[in-house]
Amino acid sequence: MAEWQRPQVQRQTLPQHASERIQRMRGPQGQRFFTSDLSVKEFLLVREAGFECAGFVMGSSIYHVGYQRGDYSQNQELGVLTQALYQARELAMARMEEEAHELGADGVIGVRLRVNRHAWGESLLEFVALGTAIYARDGRSWRAPSGMPFTSDLSGQDFWMLLKSGHRPVSLVMGNCVYHVAHQTLGGWFSSVGKNQEMGNFTQALYDARELAMERMQYEAQIDGAAGVVGTEIYETTHGGWDSHVIEFFAVGTSVLPFPVTSPPPSPTLVMTVNE
Amino acid sequence: MAFTSDLTIDEVLLIEEVGFEPVELVLSSSYFHIGWQSASWTTNTELEAVSALMLRARQTAIHRLVSQASAAGADGIVGMRLDIERDGHSAEFTAMGTAVRRRAGDGKAWRDGHGRPFTSDLSGVDFWALVRGGFRPVALAHGVCVYHVAHRSLAGWLSGTGQNMEMPAFTQGLYEARELAMDRMQTEARAAGSTAGIVAVDAREGSHGWDSHVIEFVAVGTGVAPIVDPGHEVHGEPGLVLGMRDDDDERQDLDDA
Repeated sequence: MAEWQRPQVQRQTLPQHASERIQRMRGPQGQRFFTSDLSVKEFLLVREAGFECAGFVMGSSIYHVGYQRGDYSQNQELGVLTQALYQARELAMARMEEEAHELGADGVIGVRLRVNRHAWGESLLEFVALGTAIYARDGRSWRAPSGMPFTSDLSGQDFWMLLKSGHRPVSLVMGNCVYHVAHQTLGGWFSSVGKNQEMGNFTQALYDARELAMERMQYEAQIDGAAGVVGTEIYETTHGGWDSHVIEFFAVGTSVLPFPVTSPPPSPTLVMTVNE
Repeated sequence: MAFTSDLTIDEVLLIEEVGFEPVELVLSSSYFHIGWQSASWTTNTELEAVSALMLRARQTAIHRLVSQASAAGADGIVGMRLDIERDGHSAEFTAMGTAVRRRAGDGKAWRDGHGRPFTSDLSGVDFWALVRGGFRPVALAHGVCVYHVAHRSLAGWLSGTGQNMEMPAFTQGLYEARELAMDRMQTEARAAGSTAGIVAVDAREGSHGWDSHVIEFVAVGTGVAPIVDPGHEVHGEPGLVLGMRDDDDERQDLDDA
């Protein structure tokens, strides 16, 4: 882990229209007006859990992703690209968190990270973070240890269940790794053609890349002082215009901390639905 | 009286459960010529005339739908959908939904701030959940911002190649465009009498056969208000149930927009 330099992102200042929209959602004399991309069921469950929606928040960053040459016959991480993609996501997240902070929210749930490519911008990637900011009705603070609102990609249903189980979300943690998979040599190709065998070289490369992404995600959770990570997902993508041997592995999950609850979590009831 | 509706059986049952009945399937359309507003090749700017037009085309279709529902004696529309079909420089905006009426005759309390039937894209199931949760839908609100993204100069392009860096002018432009669309949606919802907020917001972007440097940002959501009737029955505390079905895991893919 020593060589992993986690890109640091400063607190962000919001564009003018964002500040204006947030001021209108806060309203005068506490007359809040929320917007939320939660479904009706999620909205009701969040209220049931003792929270209110503060507003739909977002952040974005358009990033020029350049080129890093991988050695044709080497399995290796492309560190510059890894850092660039990480940094771009962090920028989008930091802006979203800032919007939630300005709204006076305790956290953001249902966070989605999207990567857009636009026809007008070759090698430009747009990273967008979207979610619904919420705050506790009883005025208790649920913010992350850093003092900023917590972030989480859990749905309203999962959030409700997580709280019932005595855990609270801390932050959306992520790790990535852009990896160049070596091309096979001609000799290697001849020796394996027609045979059924494991391609140790490729296995190792993809295994390493996934492990690196996961490890970095865990490292983030540890720095945040969390007890664990739930709902981890790993995505594999190649972004526009990349050589087919270059892949990004991206691990994302929600880090959680236990908190004392008065009642034990409800035990499930078995139902048979009449839906097909 | 016979009714028509595109709701499923369970949706009809749930709507009846909260005191409504379907009246008829309503359908309307508006046909618009989408003109053009020129923008400087090198600026990031909103195309205000096009934004206004794209909003007016949607509002016209919805307004006609509401008039039909009103004429049929309905108090609201559920399951509303708005489709856009483009044909060259023209586009047809079609709105469709099921008009519903309050059985108890207290339908006035369910109408929007202007006394018109409420509009909502919620399904029958979501409508039921919302009403039992103590809220009523008021209006399906839209916000639109059509934005022109600058072309990059050759010098700018050359200096950027090979480098990994944020492009602040582009970030700022698109960020502002999204915020404007959401802000306009909020303003429309409030004006229609949604006092609590907006649920189920969908923030989309698209292009309607324009130059690739022109993007339309649209925010849509159902504005809601609390139900003030003290006799209104709300649902109890949710329980944890284990369904006897193999549900597909409906996790969203992070990278697929």
